[in-house]
Amino acid sequence: MAATEQPMTPVPRRGLFAGRRGRRIREAIQAYLFLSPGTLLLFVFQLLPVGYAFYISLHKWRIQKGDFIALDNYLKALGEPLDILWVIGGLMLLAGAWMVWRSIKPETSGKGFLLRGLSALMLIFGGLALILGFPDMLAHGDEDLFKSLLITFYYSLGTVPIQIVLSFLLANILFQDIRGRAMWRMLYFLPYVTVTVASAAVWTSIFEPRRGLINVTLAALGVPEEHLPQWIFEAAGIGTLIGRWLGFEVPSWAAGPSLALVAVIIYNIWTFVGYNTVIYLAGLGTIPHELYEAAEIDGASRWDLLRHITIPLVSPTTYFLVMMGVLGTFRAFNHIYVMTRVGRTLGFPQGTTMTASILIFKHFWEGHRFGYASALAFILTGVMLGLTWIQNRVSERRVFYG
Amino acid sequence: MASATAAATRESRKYRVRGAIVKGFLYLILTLGAIVAMFPFAWMLLTASKTYGEHSQKVFWPAGLTLRPYVNLPPTREIVVDMHPTEDWHGAPASSSPLLEGVIPVHEVSPFVAKRLEREGITLPFNVLILAIDTTDDGIQNYDRFVLTVDSRTVGQFSTRIRLGQWGGPDYAGGPRGRWGPHFKVIDPNPDHFVVKQAWNVWYMFFGNYIKAWREANFALYTRNSAIITLLTIAGVMVTSTLAAYAFARMDFPGKNTLFAAYLATYMIPWTVVMIPDYLIIVALEDFFKETLGIANAWYNNWTALTIPWMVNAFSVFLLRQFFAQIPTELFDAALIDGCGHLRFLTQVVLPISKAPLMSVIVFNGIWAWNSLQWPLIVTSTPDWRPITVGLSSFMSEAGAETQLIMAGSVITTIPILLLYFFTQKQFTEGIATTGLKG
Repeated sequence: MAATEQPMTPVPRRGLFAGRRGRRIREAIQAYLFLSPGTLLLFVFQLLPVGYAFYISLHKWRIQKGDFIALDNYLKALGEPLDILWVIGGLMLLAGAWMVWRSIKPETSGKGFLLRGLSALMLIFGGLALILGFPDMLAHGDEDLFKSLLITFYYSLGTVPIQIVLSFLLANILFQDIRGRAMWRMLYFLPYVTVTVASAAVWTSIFEPRRGLINVTLAALGVPEEHLPQWIFEAAGIGTLIGRWLGFEVPSWAAGPSLALVAVIIYNIWTFVGYNTVIYLAGLGTIPHELYEAAEIDGASRWDLLRHITIPLVSPTTYFLVMMGVLGTFRAFNHIYVMTRVGRTLGFPQGTTMTASILIFKHFWEGHRFGYASALAFILTGVMLGLTWIQNRVSERRVFYG
Repeated sequence: MASATAAATRESRKYRVRGAIVKGFLYLILTLGAIVAMFPFAWMLLTASKTYGEHSQKVFWPAGLTLRPYVNLPPTREIVVDMHPTEDWHGAPASSSPLLEGVIPVHEVSPFVAKRLEREGITLPFNVLILAIDTTDDGIQNYDRFVLTVDSRTVGQFSTRIRLGQWGGPDYAGGPRGRWGPHFKVIDPNPDHFVVKQAWNVWYMFFGNYIKAWREANFALYTRNSAIITLLTIAGVMVTSTLAAYAFARMDFPGKNTLFAAYLATYMIPWTVVMIPDYLIIVALEDFFKETLGIANAWYNNWTALTIPWMVNAFSVFLLRQFFAQIPTELFDAALIDGCGHLRFLTQVVLPISKAPLMSVIVFNGIWAWNSLQWPLIVTSTPDWRPITVGLSSFMSEAGAETQLIMAGSVITTIPILLLYFFTQKQFTEGIATTGLKG
C-alpha cells in the first residue's frame, strides 16, 4: 500500500500522477490494490473453478486425469444424445408456448388468434417431444441420478410449503400486539442458529427407534411395539406405510418418500421455520399501516385483510423464501450426511435419502469419479437454473412489488 | 337512555371477552410453537445428564438433575493401599515393570449409590481393585495409568484409567449407577506407600458425561481447531471485504462494473460445482509446496486449506458496500482536505462508524466457519486440524449406542455459537431480516 506512505499534507503534488488526471490514475491503482486480496481469492477458489470443473467433466478423471471423453460423462448420466435433444427441445418448446401465451395482450386482437395458434402448436410439439424423449432418457440414463432428483423433489415438496405456511402463521401472530415479541423471536430462531451437526445429532437420537423421544412417547400413548415406526431406518415409502396401516397394498409409484426422508424433512422444517418467520416479520413491517385502517373503515373483516392486503403485499418475501427453500434443499448436505451417514452408508436406508447433492458427494468422495461427479454437478445446476427460471416466470404475475 | 348505555356496556364487554379469547388463543399457538422449537434442546440437555442405564431404561428425568446424588456425601479421606505385584491382569498392556495390585475397601457410598447397591444385592463394604500400570517404561516412579475396578467378580468389570494427579472413578458403564459413587485420585504413587484420596466429586458427578465425551473424542483439540479456523476466517474476511467494499463504494476505476458483476456471479455458482476443482487446487498447491519448497502438509490437513478459500465472500462485500455507500461524501472531502488518503480514511473514519455491519459480518462468517462440515471432510484426513463438526460426526459413530455422550458432545459443539448468538442477537436477527440471507 504505497499510498499510505505519501505525505499527509495538502500541498499540490508535482511530478508523476500530479493534477486531476494523475489523481484519477492514483485512485484507480489504489482501488486495484484494495480489491486485489479479495478478488484474487475469489477468482482462484470460486470463479475459475467453474471452468476447471467443466474441463474435469469432459475427462475420464479418477483421482488422476484420464482420457478426454468429450460429453460422455453427460451422456452416461442422461442417456442417448437424441433423447436429451428431444427432452431439452420439448422443454424449450413448452417454455416458449408459455411465453407466447403470456405475450398475448387484449390490444393485439388481430394477431391474437395467430399467436394463440402458435402457442398451442408449440405446446403440442413440446409435449410430443417430451413423450418421445423422456421415457428413453429414463431408461438409458443413470438410474441413480433420476432417483436422486425425485428424492430431492420430494424433499423440496415436503419442506417448502409447510415451512412457508407455518412461518407465515407465526409471523402474523407475532405481528399482532403480542408481549415479549423479541423473546418469542429469539426462541423460534434458536434452531436455525444451532450448529447443524449438533442439532442433526440430537434429532437422530430423537428418531432412534427404540429409545428415541418420539417412539418412547408413542409407546407411552399405547402404540404396540411392533407398530412403532422405524424412522431413519425405514426405507419403505410413507404411501406404502399408510396403505399397510389401513390394510391395502399401494402401487409402487405412489410409495412416496421413505420414512427416513420424512424424518429429514421434519428436521429441515424445524430448523427453518424460525428463520422464515423472522424474514416474514420484516416483510410484514414494510406494509403501510394506512392500508389496513382504510380497509377496516370500509368494513373489511380480518380474513379480508389477510386475503387482500397481507398475502399480496408480502408476496415478494414469499417468493424469496420459496426460492431459497427450494435451492436450499438442492444444496442440503450437512444434516442429511449426519442423520443418515454416520455409522452407515451414504443415502441410508437403501439409498432412499440420497438427494442429488449427496449423490454427487458419493461419486466424488467415495467413488473417486471426479469427472462424472462434475458432470452431475453441472446437470444439477441446470435443473436449479430451470427451477429458478420457472419460479421467476410464475412469480412475475403473482408477486406484487410495491 | 339507560337501557342504551347498558346495551353498549354489554356489547363492549362481549367485545372484550372475545378479544381476550382471541389473545389467549394466539398465545397458545405461540407457546406450542416455542415448545416444538425448544424440545430438542430439552432432550439434548436431559439426555446429556443421563447415565447409559437411564437412557436405555427410558428414564425421563435423570437422577443427575435431582438433589439426591449430591446430598449427605461422606467426607473425603485418604487411604494407604497395600500394593503387591501381580502377574497378569485382564488384558492390561504389557510393561517391563511389574503391575501392582491393591484393594481399597469402600465403607461408604453416596446415598444415591447406596440405594442402587441395595437393589442389586451388594452389601457394603465392597472392594475396589486398584491396578497400577507403568506404561511409560521409565521406572516405577512414573505411573501414568491406574485401573480402578469395583469388585470385579461381583459387579462386572468397570474400569477407568486415571492419569496421575487426576480425579477418576470406577466407571460403571454397564450398570445403572454410572458415574455416581466415590472418586479416587492417586496422591502418592510410591509403591511402598501408595496413597489414594477418596472423595465425592460433585463436579465430576454432575458433568460426568461432558468430561467423558471431552476426553474420549478429543474435543479439546477439535474445539481449539474450530476456534482457530473461525477466527482466522473472520480476520481474512474482514480484511478482504472491508477493502473491496470500500473500493466499490467510494472509488472510481476502470472495470468497476465488470468486477462487481464477477462478485455477484459467485452468488449464483452452486457449491457442488466448485467443490471438486477446489479440492484439486488444494492438492496441486500441496504438491507444489512439497516438491518445490519442501514443506509437507502445507495445505492438506492444515489450517490453510480450511480457511484461505473462505476468506472472501460476496455477501460480506455487498453488506459493507451498502453501508459504506451511505456515508456522506462531504466527510471524505473534508478528510481529503486534511490530507487523508483512502486507507487512512477507511481505517480511521469509516470503520469506527460501521460497527453494526462489521458485527453482522463477524457473526455470520463466524457461524458459517464453525458450521462447515463438507469441506473439512474433504481436506482433512487426520485429527490434527479437524474441526469440531467433523469431530462430532465421527464421535457419533465411535460412541455408537452411548447416546448420552453424543448429546454431551452436541452441547459442547453448540455452546460457543449459542453464546455468540445471545450476545449479538440484535445484529443477528436484524442482519437476517434486512439482507434476507440463508446460511
